Amino acid sequence: MSLLVDHPRLRWVAPAAAVAVIAAGGVFVSRIASADTGLPPRSAAQLLADVQQASRSGLSGTVVQTANLGIPQIPSLSGNGTGAVATGTGVSSLTSIIAGTHTWRVWLAGEQQSRLALLSGANESDIIRNESDLWVWSSRDKSATHYTLPASAAASPTPPVSPTDLPKTPADGASEALAAIDPSTSVTTDGAASVAGRQAYELVLQPKSQTTRVAQVRIAIDSETHIPLRVQVYSTKAANPAFEVGFTSVDFSTPDARQFQFTPPSGTKVTNSAITPQSVGGGAKPATLTHRLVGTGWDSVLVATLPADLATRLGQLKQLLTSLPSVSGSWGRGRVIDGTLFSAVLTDDGRVAVGAVSPNALYAALSAP
Amino acid sequence: MSVAERLSRPTRKRGRVVSTRLLRSEIGLIAGRRRNQMGLLVLAALPIVLAIAVKVSNRTAGGGPDFLDSVTSNGLFVSLAALTVEMGLFLPLAIAMLAGDAVAGEANLGTLRYLLTVPVRRTRLLVVKYASLCFGALWGVTVVAVVGAAIGIALFGTGPLTTLSGSQLPFGAASGRLVLVVLYCSAGIAALGAVGLFISTLTEQPIAATIALTIFTILSWILDGVPQLDWLHPWLIVDQWLAFADLLRDPPFWDNILRGLSVDAGYAVVFWLLAWARLAGKDITS
Repeated sequence: MSLLVDHPRLRWVAPAAAVAVIAAGGVFVSRIASADTGLPPRSAAQLLADVQQASRSGLSGTVVQTANLGIPQIPSLSGNGTGAVATGTGVSSLTSIIAGTHTWRVWLAGEQQSRLALLSGANESDIIRNESDLWVWSSRDKSATHYTLPASAAASPTPPVSPTDLPKTPADGASEALAAIDPSTSVTTDGAASVAGRQAYELVLQPKSQTTRVAQVRIAIDSETHIPLRVQVYSTKAANPAFEVGFTSVDFSTPDARQFQFTPPSGTKVTNSAITPQSVGGGAKPATLTHRLVGTGWDSVLVATLPADLATRLGQLKQLLTSLPSVSGSWGRGRVIDGTLFSAVLTDDGRVAVGAVSPNALYAALSAP
Repeated sequence: MSVAERLSRPTRKRGRVVSTRLLRSEIGLIAGRRRNQMGLLVLAALPIVLAIAVKVSNRTAGGGPDFLDSVTSNGLFVSLAALTVEMGLFLPLAIAMLAGDAVAGEANLGTLRYLLTVPVRRTRLLVVKYASLCFGALWGVTVVAVVGAAIGIALFGTGPLTTLSGSQLPFGAASGRLVLVVLYCSAGIAALGAVGLFISTLTEQPIAATIALTIFTILSWILDGVPQLDWLHPWLIVDQWLAFADLLRDPPFWDNILRGLSVDAGYAVVFWLLAWARLAGKDITS
């Protein structure tokens, strides 16, 4: 201690060391996340087959979704959700529905029980499914809606495809799926991902097209349970993922049955609603949309003509539309969204073109016969 | 280092039980100051105003701080609404006042050098000062919570507490959650106290230290509200302060709570060490 007593300035080393340790800790954690975990190699077809055979008996965890699609901010209806007075946090509540970060808690037990909770500040929205009961709870409005699922949906869903159409084994299905996307996409695998503290394989889909905005799609698959843990979509315009959804923590034990029971608390507005097969299948038929697809694979552009009555229904979005940049060309005039993963054009005469390409490709598709 | 401190060093070599006398005297000083008592009254007034406002008005829902529209179902929500509001400015201001008095106040009154000739080692003095600040933080938050719970239970009763997840907790479990909330908020305010302690060693004017810490707090809140600075947010002391809402989910959501506590701990360690380094080399002239 006498060294420190005689040279008091040396004491500044201690706080500096503490800062260094904390900073190094932060860097170390992010290094671990990208460390080579050295899993034995596994082909794309094997991985896809693994995923199909994965046991879905139960899991719980936290999912974080981050989107940076480069589309304009839409002020959400949430308003001033955080109650901190005079703190300036009101600014952060103006997050858009699509952009920004959202945290979900997930519980799954078999096919029949699931619970999703969207956390936002001091509020929570839950969707709880237990057998044929489906509850939607919102802590902000203190409201709960109860849906009764039709028996056919509650029973194990059987796809309406004759068995002969189906691949015989998961491996067959995987190779068929890979063959289907082979002309447009190169598929590789990587054994070096770490998601939510678990080693994972990554299935990397890379468009062969040079014009699409999508640079890469990476799907991380847990090396033991073969459950997909993370999906990242990279844009050609940014180094960080433009869209990412993945577990930040995950537990593969079956959650407590209590998680799937919901009784509306006293003082809650409860709405009962039955879902009939008609309402699911679109009893009120949506206005017909004439559309065509221009281009192939990743470059394809959807061109559609909006029905006239839809324009009036879009009235609420008028303000958003007028905030978008105006463009014109031989194809007409309109407004454009130039996003990181996709772009969209809405013309003044009610046509819309959407694709994972640059706006110039959309204009070309609009002028195409 | 004064001559008196150098001479006192050999006497410190004797092994003996750590005395709590200095800490007790320090806490007695904090509790006895009239301005601190007035500050506590202000802290306690807010939950009372909130509860009476909700009781008198008939508006059922909408707007206001988080948890306010749940107050009518359970009195404990008065505490939570009051804490949501007071974590913004009032509680940081209270700890800023205590931190300003801690070192700068003693230096200003000329009592710091007498404290050091008692003899008390500077490190021990700083440990005791920080311990009393932590105690002050816990005290302030507890007063808000207890007054809020008392007035809330008196006006609205003790129904089951509805968690944010829509389940209901019996009164005992709900009180347990409130205790966790109080501890979590106190940890945040105590970490801010370490920043205040460091600022307090830089000046001999307690009011300057108080203002500086208040500016630090408000600046942190403003930076936390700027979305373009989202890379900085995890490092801000206030970022997870309002995450105590996660303790009211079912089951509690610990991720943000643990992140908030680790940020608090980081701030406390770094700024206490800064204060220690600063005080050691400082010439105590008054």
